[in-house]
Amino acid sequence: MPEPDGGELGPLSSSPTPPPSYPLRHSLRSPLSPRVSLCWCRGNSLRVSLFSQPASEVEFGGEVVELKLNDGGDGEISNAQWRRIAYGSVSPFAMLQSRRNSFSSLSKINSSPYHLEWWEYVMEYSKDINSLLGNPKSSKNSLIEDPKTFVQKSEEPTCLKAAWELMEMFYADKLSQPWLPERLVDWLADYDSLFARAYGTVYSKLLNFQNELINLQVIEDDPRYWEVIASALAVGWLEIVVKLLRLHGSYQLDQLSNRETENGLVEAVAVLISKMPRMRPELEPRRLGECYKAKPDFIKAWEKWRGQINKLDCSAFWIQCHHVQTREGLRNLLQIMLGNMSSLSAATSHWLELYISHFLYVRPFTAGLESMYSLAQRCIQLKPMSNSHKLMGVMIGILGENTEVVLAESSKEFGPWMAAHAIELLTAGSDEAEALLREERYSLGEISLEELHRLVYAQVLSSHALSWQIAPVYLSSCLKQGMGLLEILLYRQPVPHKELLLKNLEICRLYELDDISSNIMKMAGVHHWKHGRKGSGVYWLQQAQDEFRLNKIAQLLFGSVGKSISDESFKQWEGLIELLHSESKAAGGLEFLLKYRDFKRLLQQIGDGKNDVAAQQAVESLMLLMKNPSTPQRFWLPLLNDSLKLLNWQDRPLLNVSQTNLLLNKLQELSIARLRPHFVKPDFPMEALNSVRLSLATNLGRAILEE
Amino acid sequence: MEKSVLKLDKGTTCTAWNYCGQRLAAGSVDGTLSVFDSPDPASSSFSRSSSVKVREVGISKVVWVPPEYGDAVACIFEDGNFSIWEEVAEDSLSVQWKLCEFFKSSSSKVLDIQFGVSPTSLKMVAGYSDGSLKVFELTNPLELKNWQLQAEFQNVIDSVSTFGKASCLSASISWNPVRGEGQESSFVMGFNSDTPQLNSSKVWEFDEAHQRWLPVAELALTEDRGDRVYSVAWAPNIGRPWELIAVATEKGITIWHLNLSPDADGRLPVERVALHSGQEGEVWQMEWDMSGMTLATTGSDGAVKLWQSNLNGVWQGQATFLPTC
Repeated sequence: MPEPDGGELGPLSSSPTPPPSYPLRHSLRSPLSPRVSLCWCRGNSLRVSLFSQPASEVEFGGEVVELKLNDGGDGEISNAQWRRIAYGSVSPFAMLQSRRNSFSSLSKINSSPYHLEWWEYVMEYSKDINSLLGNPKSSKNSLIEDPKTFVQKSEEPTCLKAAWELMEMFYADKLSQPWLPERLVDWLADYDSLFARAYGTVYSKLLNFQNELINLQVIEDDPRYWEVIASALAVGWLEIVVKLLRLHGSYQLDQLSNRETENGLVEAVAVLISKMPRMRPELEPRRLGECYKAKPDFIKAWEKWRGQINKLDCSAFWIQCHHVQTREGLRNLLQIMLGNMSSLSAATSHWLELYISHFLYVRPFTAGLESMYSLAQRCIQLKPMSNSHKLMGVMIGILGENTEVVLAESSKEFGPWMAAHAIELLTAGSDEAEALLREERYSLGEISLEELHRLVYAQVLSSHALSWQIAPVYLSSCLKQGMGLLEILLYRQPVPHKELLLKNLEICRLYELDDISSNIMKMAGVHHWKHGRKGSGVYWLQQAQDEFRLNKIAQLLFGSVGKSISDESFKQWEGLIELLHSESKAAGGLEFLLKYRDFKRLLQQIGDGKNDVAAQQAVESLMLLMKNPSTPQRFWLPLLNDSLKLLNWQDRPLLNVSQTNLLLNKLQELSIARLRPHFVKPDFPMEALNSVRLSLATNLGRAILEE
Repeated sequence: MEKSVLKLDKGTTCTAWNYCGQRLAAGSVDGTLSVFDSPDPASSSFSRSSSVKVREVGISKVVWVPPEYGDAVACIFEDGNFSIWEEVAEDSLSVQWKLCEFFKSSSSKVLDIQFGVSPTSLKMVAGYSDGSLKVFELTNPLELKNWQLQAEFQNVIDSVSTFGKASCLSASISWNPVRGEGQESSFVMGFNSDTPQLNSSKVWEFDEAHQRWLPVAELALTEDRGDRVYSVAWAPNIGRPWELIAVATEKGITIWHLNLSPDADGRLPVERVALHSGQEGEVWQMEWDMSGMTLATTGSDGAVKLWQSNLNGVWQGQATFLPTC
């Protein structure tokens, strides 16, 4: 069994020692200074600043280069298509997670036989994901009945889809377990072309032959004709074999009478091939073979079929067949069907093809994964791989029943998307795999492999402005560290852009990240305030409930309002206060400024100290301010100090006993507050306190006398 | 895999990206501070939005102020002084970069500055060439000019140890990136100096109750305590039970686990989990990615290296990038 190599699970996908070296290409023509500056931006994109040597005669002083580490684009699938896949997989993934939550609670209370098994949900998920990875299988049969076309050159399949289907059939699709070998036959039929680039394969042989077919006069004389038929038969592409056989010259009307025996043999073989018993529930229309669902029926049919082949093999008709190539070619086909090892080996190119041919003709009764791995090893020995193929690691991991290897290989070869999504397949209905992938590991920071892969994938998603919004879906499925990463992700979004800011806040609301939300609003508030948009600044600070900064702003305004009471600029401040007021939704720390403005206006009206009516109004206004809980405590003393004129009103005491008492109480509260540790000292001299106290006392005396 | 993002002006000596990677501040040898912006968050094309001559002295390092305090940078100059500049629109004028505060250092040069955000305030630590540290605190969150010196101390565990006048070539400071409530501010700091006691990286934590900074951990094995420290980097922690800190010394890159629950002496337990001598020469900069899973380093060999932990918790070099024309 191959051992897990343990590495390659971070955003980069390899961990050999020493680490591989890559060029970091730049366009600077001058000699570089060794000093390089690094910064991680968005997810796992690394920005590197390179500097020219100071003395050199250069056009530019340096360049910033962005390195995207493992953004998924590996040449097979474009970045745009990756994004399509990424977006498309969100809802199947989220759906499965929510089903998992309800499934686990449901299965505890209700063991009803009517609800679906877990793997059935996983299969639904797998089908959804699979549909994103490319078009449905291409049929090896021609739909348009061109007699000379037997291999359709349809859309190139991808290794990604091939790997996904492989994992689906072995892990998730519990229905396919009894007929895994047949599933593999179908799988290879779909994906044999993937190996064609690296190795000669049955597919490439067929394609080459098809291209030359037009130039061939007597097809059965060409040894390649018999070779490709044997190859196609070895891997179970029966329709192609039969179609090719029927191109045999003996079928031509003018030859039929002369080559009756020969034609009879060709047809007999073709019929035998099309009657091959298959251990599978069904075959698509146009596919050849006879299906058997139950093993005993299949064994019986198989033995009968084999008997017929043997009978034909021993038949006397062969002596009467004078066309050597036909005779040899057909008998070779019989040998293949009889499971002759050397015929099978000669007919196949890649070990997987040899492997498949074993299931078809040598060990047709194989079920499940029994000894599949040792057979694979034998086939690899017989047909060694000169270079490794993307799919091989995953395939061998699956056959070796080593989930950890499968995960590591799929992560290495297909990137974080695959690892994050394939875990659902790997754990479908397997307690062992579930324990392995969901167990928290100390070495990973007390998270599971499942969570690790989701985090890594979410980080890759965060790297791009077009995909970061879907990262939260994956992060929210990470119970231990997902929210931590989400907080950092949200914190790193630019706040000056309104749409982004709103999107960001929406995500915060969805995941109940109130702290981050208020921090983001605080950042937005400060940004707007500093960039001259005072109204927006105050609005966002109010939303953030940042009393500290709002108080500072209020203090600033208060100071300005106070200073400029007789100035022209008071009008400006009035405007701002008005604006702040209109934007303040809650009874924020700024509401009092509005009242303060009114109070100041009244004080202005009093002017020379003769206007009794205005003075009485000013007192009312003062009382309102002092009673209002939104008036910050720090402003009490300045307010009282401003009101000295009212407290010392010459004609009569303007404040009655209870009003004066209230103000005295406030003053007392203020004195006590001074003793507390977090008290913010107003910029007021102590004398002010004393003169206010004195004036209040005097007023109280006068008011008592008056009453 | 790589893509050119922007070209820097002649004479550029240092760069720094802001919190969201949308703005780059670049300092130059003639004292010019340039800022490059991307108009659209989805685009990665950047153009210069402003260029200010901040002084007649070369800028050796630019550090962004945390975004809760506006768009501002600290510029460290080659003569060892530093200043804080801010982008503001004042009195209905258009947005421009303005000087908030100039910090003149009398006898010693400032070598590194880093900002730390606590729930209540903004703190700034500066490391000086005489081996001292100064912690400043912003008194008004809306005004970057009002800084109060909160503390001044040396990077030593034992405050009674005496040594001659120190001469430090470089300093490296890294704040614990945590932003949540209820956690004390802390940072790690190391020197590259001729005074062994100062060098080793120490973790400093603010003791709110007594309003003082305490050394709570030392990230060096006993035999390595005098090693010169070139760079330190505190990793973001998204939920690990331990903190992760990288320290580059003359022996190589070390990675430490720091446990935040103190032992009986009030010290935080530490464990060195990796030592790598993969980077030739001095390591000048180390940066953790957003999850704290990958460490990027660079140094005098001009190479960019990436480090990751495997499934067994073993730290390994993952890739090396060499600038190539």
